[in-house]
Amino acid sequence: MKHKFSGVAFAAMVLLAGCSSKSTISPADQAGAGSGSGAGAGSGAGVSAGADAVAGPVLSDIFYDFDSSALSPEAQEQLKQNAAWLKKNTAQSVTIEGHCDERGTDEYNIALGERRANSAKEYLTNLGVGSSKLTVVSYGEERPFDPAHNEEAWSKNRRSHFVTK
Amino acid sequence: MSNFIEMIMRDLRNSIAVLLVFVCTLVFTSTMVSAEAPRGTITISKEAAGRIAIALDRTSAKGGRESELARSVDGTIRSGLDFTGLFNLLQAPANMRTVQGGALNFSALNSVGAEIYTGGTMTRQSGKVLLDMEVYDALSGKQLMKKVYSGAEGQVRPMGLRFCADLVELLTGKKSLLFDSRIVYVSNRNSISVCDFDGQNVEHLTSARTISMNPVISPDGKYLAWTDYSSGKPDLYIRNLATKATASVGKPGVSIAPAWRNGSDEVATTLSFEGDQEIYLVKPNGTISRRLTSSRGIDVSPTFSPDGSKMAFVSQRSGPPQIFIQDLQGGQARRLTFSGSYNTQPSWSPAGDKIVYSSVQKNGEINIFTINADGTGLLQLTRGEKYNESPAWSPDGSMIVFMSNRQGGKRLFVMNSDGTNQRPLLQKEGDQQQPSWSKGR
Repeated sequence: MKHKFSGVAFAAMVLLAGCSSKSTISPADQAGAGSGSGAGAGSGAGVSAGADAVAGPVLSDIFYDFDSSALSPEAQEQLKQNAAWLKKNTAQSVTIEGHCDERGTDEYNIALGERRANSAKEYLTNLGVGSSKLTVVSYGEERPFDPAHNEEAWSKNRRSHFVTK
Repeated sequence: MSNFIEMIMRDLRNSIAVLLVFVCTLVFTSTMVSAEAPRGTITISKEAAGRIAIALDRTSAKGGRESELARSVDGTIRSGLDFTGLFNLLQAPANMRTVQGGALNFSALNSVGAEIYTGGTMTRQSGKVLLDMEVYDALSGKQLMKKVYSGAEGQVRPMGLRFCADLVELLTGKKSLLFDSRIVYVSNRNSISVCDFDGQNVEHLTSARTISMNPVISPDGKYLAWTDYSSGKPDLYIRNLATKATASVGKPGVSIAPAWRNGSDEVATTLSFEGDQEIYLVKPNGTISRRLTSSRGIDVSPTFSPDGSKMAFVSQRSGPPQIFIQDLQGGQARRLTFSGSYNTQPSWSPAGDKIVYSSVQKNGEINIFTINADGTGLLQLTRGEKYNESPAWSPDGSMIVFMSNRQGGKRLFVMNSDGTNQRPLLQKEGDQQQPSWSKGR
C-alpha cells in the first residue's frame, strides 16, 4: 500500500482534504484503501496540487461488510496509516463517525454504527493513539455518503469516517 | 373530551344489544353474530361477515351556519367510519324522510341493501352546537341508539368522532380506542410531529433541526420520549407534554429506541455507557432504574406485553439480529423468530397475542410480519413494495401503522392487522417515518 502515499494518488488526497474544513476523503477516491486494489485511486485528479495543500489531514474512511463491525485486513491497513498520521499530529482531535447503509432498520443501525466507530477507535488506541483524542459518534443510516439504492452505494456507506477538529 | 358531550341512553344499551342479537340471528344467522358474544353485547365478526352495510343519511339542519356544520360533521363521520375498514358505507335514499309526521321510510332502504341506518339533526342553542344522532336496524326499523352530542362550533369534528366510537362499540361490542388516538412520527428526519388517527390535525412537538428518531408517548399520555442529536450524539429526551419540562439520560454513548413499559411510568432504552449496547429502564426524570439485558453485542428495540411483565427485543446474541422475549422477573431470553436472517423492530399487540416486526429479506425488500407470542402463526403482511418498516399497533389492535417507500419518499401507511386495506395515512411532502400510535387522553 506504500504507493498510495506517493505520486498522483497522494496529491489527490491532499487536494481533496485541503478543499474542506473537514477531512472528506471520499470513499470513491479511496477505493484503494478499502479494497486493496490501490492502483488507480484518485486517477485523473490532483493534477494541480500545490505545495500549500499539504497542511490538510490525511485520514481515510474504512469500510465494512453488511451487518458487521469487524475490521477487514484492508481496514486494518488503513487504520495503521491513520494511526501513523495521528501520532505525528498529536495536537489533533478526531471524531470517528460510524455509518451504515440504508438496509436494516434505523435504530439497530445507530447501534451498529457505534460498534463500527468503536472498533476503529479500539484499533487506533492499540496502536498507541491517545484515546482522549478520539470521540465516537454513530449516525446509523442517517447520513449516507452516496444516497443511491444499490450495492455500490451501500458499500461506500458502511464506513467509519474520520473528522478532524 | 367528555366535558362537552352529553351521554344519554346508557341504560338502553343492554336491551338494544339483546334486540339486535335477536334480529340479526333471525335474518343473518350465517354471517353476522358471534355465538360467543359476551353477555349484554353483540359481536359482529368482521372475518366471518365482511363489512357491515350502513346507510349514512345527511344530517338535517335549518339555517346556513347549521347546514355548514352538518356537512362538516357528515364528512367527519363518513371518513371516520370508512377508516376502520369495518363498514360498507352507502348513501341513504332521498325518500327516507318523506313520510308524514317525521317517521322514517324504512321500505326505501330495501333497494340499498343496508343493514344499519344512521341519521341526525344539527341545531344551535345558546352558543352550543347540538348533534342529535339516531341509529336504526334497517330491516326492522327498530331504533338501536339515540344520543345527543353537544359542544362549541369548533368541536364538531370530535363530536362526529365520538358518534363514530359509539357506533363501532354498538355494532362490534368492543369499546373503540381508535377515534381519539394519535400517531407520533418523525418529520423530515429532524423534528417530531403528531397527528390524529386518520392523519388530520398535524402538530409539531419539537423543532430540534437535528436528526430526530423514534418518538413514543407514554401509556398515560403524559410524556413524550424520543432521541435526537441536539447534543451532538444520539441522546434520549423525556418531555412532560403539559409542563414541557424535559429530562435526558446524559450518559456517554448512545441512548436510543425508547419504549414505554405498560403499567409503569418507566421507559426502556438502549444505552452504551457501559461499553456494550444494552437495554435499561429509565424514569421520566432521566435516572436509570435498572438494566434489563446483559449479552455481548447489540440489544435494542424493546416492546412490552400489555401487562408489562415481558419484553420482546432485538438481539445479536445468536448472530444477525433476531427477536427475543424475556421475562422481566428474570430467566433466560427465548428466541422468537427463526424465519429470516434479519428481524427487527418488534411491536407487541395490545391484546398480547401477537408481535409485529420488520424483516430484511434476501430479495432486497424489507417486509412486515406478524407472529404469535408463542412463535406460531407467522404471517407476511407486506410484499413486493420495497421497504416497509417501523410497524406499530393501533391502541385497539385493529390496525398497524408503518413506514413505506413504495411511492418514492418515506411515507406513513396504515393497514388492517391482517395486512389488508393498505393505504397512505398522510398526504404531505417530505419524509415521514418511525410512527408510533398512542391512546387518546
